[in-house]
Amino acid sequence: MMNEMGKETEGFTSKIKLRKSKKSQKKAVKSLQSPQEQELLSQSLEDNENKFRSIYKDCSDVVIRSFYIGGKDNAILIYIEGLSNTQEVDDSVLSPLMESSGEGNDQVKSLINKKIPVTSVKEVKTVAECISEISSGNPVIVADNQKTGLAVGLAQYEKRSIDEPQAETVVRGPREGFVEALSVNNSMLRRRIRSPKLKLKSMKAGKYTETKIVIAYLEGVADPTLIEEITNRVSKIDVDGIMDSGVLEEFIEDDPYSPFPQFLETERPDVVTANLLEGRAAILVDGSPFSIIAPITIYSLLQASEDYYSRFLIGTAIRWLRYVFLLVSLLLPSLYVAILTFHQEMIPTTLMITVAAAREQIPFPALVEVLMMEIAFEALREAGIRLPKQVGSAVSIVGALIIGEAAVSAGIVSAPMVIVVAITGVASFTIPRYSASITFRMLRFPMIFLAGTLGLLGVMLGIILIIVHLASLRSFGVPYLSPMAPMKFNEIKDVLVRAPWWKMNTRPHFTGEYNKSRQADNQRPQPSNGGDE
Amino acid sequence: MRCIIRKKTVKRMAEFLMCVIMPLILSGCWDRIEVNDLAIVVATGLDKTEEGEIELSVQIVNPKSMGSKSEGGQGGGKQNTVEKTTGKTIFDARSKLQEKVSRKLFWGHNHIIFIGKKLAEEGIRKHLDFFSRHPFTRLRASVFMTNEKPDELLKIEPDLERSSAEVAKDLAMLKVGLSVTAKDLLDMLSGEKRGAALPMIQIEREPPNTEGLKIYGAAIFNNGKMTDQLDDKEVRGLLWIRDEIDTASVTINPEEGEELISFHIFDATSKLIPSIENGNWKIKIEIVSEDDIVENETKLDMMNPKIIEKLKEQLEKQIVERVKLALEIVQKEMKVDVLGFEEAFHRHYPDEWRKANWEEVFPEIEVEVVSEVKIRRPGRSTAPQGVPENEVIGN
Repeated sequence: MMNEMGKETEGFTSKIKLRKSKKSQKKAVKSLQSPQEQELLSQSLEDNENKFRSIYKDCSDVVIRSFYIGGKDNAILIYIEGLSNTQEVDDSVLSPLMESSGEGNDQVKSLINKKIPVTSVKEVKTVAECISEISSGNPVIVADNQKTGLAVGLAQYEKRSIDEPQAETVVRGPREGFVEALSVNNSMLRRRIRSPKLKLKSMKAGKYTETKIVIAYLEGVADPTLIEEITNRVSKIDVDGIMDSGVLEEFIEDDPYSPFPQFLETERPDVVTANLLEGRAAILVDGSPFSIIAPITIYSLLQASEDYYSRFLIGTAIRWLRYVFLLVSLLLPSLYVAILTFHQEMIPTTLMITVAAAREQIPFPALVEVLMMEIAFEALREAGIRLPKQVGSAVSIVGALIIGEAAVSAGIVSAPMVIVVAITGVASFTIPRYSASITFRMLRFPMIFLAGTLGLLGVMLGIILIIVHLASLRSFGVPYLSPMAPMKFNEIKDVLVRAPWWKMNTRPHFTGEYNKSRQADNQRPQPSNGGDE
Repeated sequence: MRCIIRKKTVKRMAEFLMCVIMPLILSGCWDRIEVNDLAIVVATGLDKTEEGEIELSVQIVNPKSMGSKSEGGQGGGKQNTVEKTTGKTIFDARSKLQEKVSRKLFWGHNHIIFIGKKLAEEGIRKHLDFFSRHPFTRLRASVFMTNEKPDELLKIEPDLERSSAEVAKDLAMLKVGLSVTAKDLLDMLSGEKRGAALPMIQIEREPPNTEGLKIYGAAIFNNGKMTDQLDDKEVRGLLWIRDEIDTASVTINPEEGEELISFHIFDATSKLIPSIENGNWKIKIEIVSEDDIVENETKLDMMNPKIIEKLKEQLEKQIVERVKLALEIVQKEMKVDVLGFEEAFHRHYPDEWRKANWEEVFPEIEVEVVSEVKIRRPGRSTAPQGVPENEVIGN
């Protein structure tokens, strides 16, 4: 099936690495449904009621309410407490039905049209369908002598209000972030892209959780093969549950053993919008405020949304600052160790003497010292995240005191080392994506080891290994280092610099191939017809 | 089935990783040296004893003396330690030195080499090999000749800097005299027939109770052996010819009186233009310099183009005189080419150069010195200051 697809859209298909079809491909999400649930609803209400009662045995939150339509026809209403708007159920379902004059033998269709003043009402035919509606919060009515039931769209449940994203704050730019409720997130996207070309393809994953997953893309901009591939990979997932987009990510990424993230995680609808416009796809998972975007390159991870909202010169400068500090966060401690233990001739004499003086009383080798401090710093960072907010400040005080002051004056670590660790710590926070920043923070430990054993040669070796790995990495077929490797000179506009918006006329090469032109040419602001005269 | 395959792959991967990581850890740290196990040598002194052995003295920084504030009053003490031994070669002496020093001698930060008079007279060429061969020494170390004992120089505790090594280094950087690095020296000596020049340094004992270093003059080496010494004035001329003048001051005495005018030369270049006509070896030294007037004792108006023109001529003459003074001594008396003439001829007339006996040719070369001076700025004031307007000459 996938091969066929490949033939349809030639050229670009070759870039997307399609997953090899395995034997297991045919099976969709393995169903937990018992034979009982596969059945159609029966004519007899008693049968149906018994069926539901046995299915929902010991489900204390499920309410099954029996009533008479128009005072004579027996019916039941099933809903889950807290998932439906009971006030509305009373007003627009129960009361009109109960009070109806009762012409009798009303068919389901006419009931919908005449008696229930609710926008979304659906007929349901099987028990399974009923269950799915009930779980989504829509109350289901099953009446006697009717083959179909009615699902009334009155789902309403508690959700967090839209908030500023915690992990991606900006000075300038939209401040709303996704929430856990998928419908709210969908609406946020739809508010930003009003064109019907915005497709929100819905899927489900998770045997028990039956988590809703939405693949968002722009029809006509995103490559259909990409969407097909994402759909394929998602549909192959057969697990108990998907708790967060992070779980989904691990099942569908290209290189599961790589330390580098192959999806861009974001809480910001504006980031998703921008990426959709560049031909990428976003995957939203119900219950998670983090959507994931693919395919990405390493540069996507280093671009903050604010780069695009501030002036382009400033955006470029900040971007460069980030590149520099990315290297600092990866290399500074290892360079320090390498130079201090193997290449003492490489630093200026005065600095060397200063460092030597500071290290005079230190009992540990530089390697041990760096490891101690870096691990302590990582522990502090981790503790800062995990601890309850009330305790958090205590940790930072203790951390700053112990690491900053006491350790130095006790002569356990040297002052230059504290500076190195501090700069490294700060540097890693300049990377806008947490998943990328944590990768570089962790990679610096092997680098420190290499530096401590092989000196600068080891550091070089580490860098080469990382670059080789990055060069071989792909995210949905897009080379991770593109557009630098393979080099696309045209694309540098959004990598080494942040080109002004009126210059970025084409979409990025790999994701925008399907529909290249982004905007009209010559949009640089200029006086019309030669100026003021 | 699948599970078994996974286990195998994991096992193989683990084995592979072990193979990669173990050698790193097992062998890796063998040449690791912590900074606090190093004795950082910042200056080296070389001399010869009466018995003909190499006398090696080193200045080692004492990091303890620079102790950080948190260590309280523990800091202090001598900032540098000077150690001295003798040996058959430099490295032999170094090995003996290591017996006395508890930390590993580290030459990576050695910026200064002082060469004693006795060694200089007996020839330095063979001893320089150590500094070009040993991987830890710097070729950019500045080399000085001294008439005193090198270890005396190392022992000096200067007022401003931390050590005498730093004083010597900064003096070399200021380019007040010759500035020669180990690499330059090797270059100069590697020319078959060429001479070499080294700056000389001595202990400055004025005012009493304080000590410092002072660069004065230069030592001239012929075939790696010191033959002559130049004084300060002659060295300035030498610098002009070698295009090593960085900044200089020239003071002239305009005809009108005893008052002087000082110029600051902020840019000077000189070019050697060799020519051979009918077997006559000639060289033309073209010196172009740009000057500012920085001090004017006279009543001359510095804004008057005629006066400036006159000053220019005098200045040019002065520079030519300086150069000629050096030429006279170096070319005619010492007959050692430290002027770079040989290189100029080698480049322009390689065939003739190869045939010629340079030692005979060099003293006979006809030298023409041309100086061009550009007076750029009169300084902050135009007319002479503190002089009534009617007394200003040329107004």
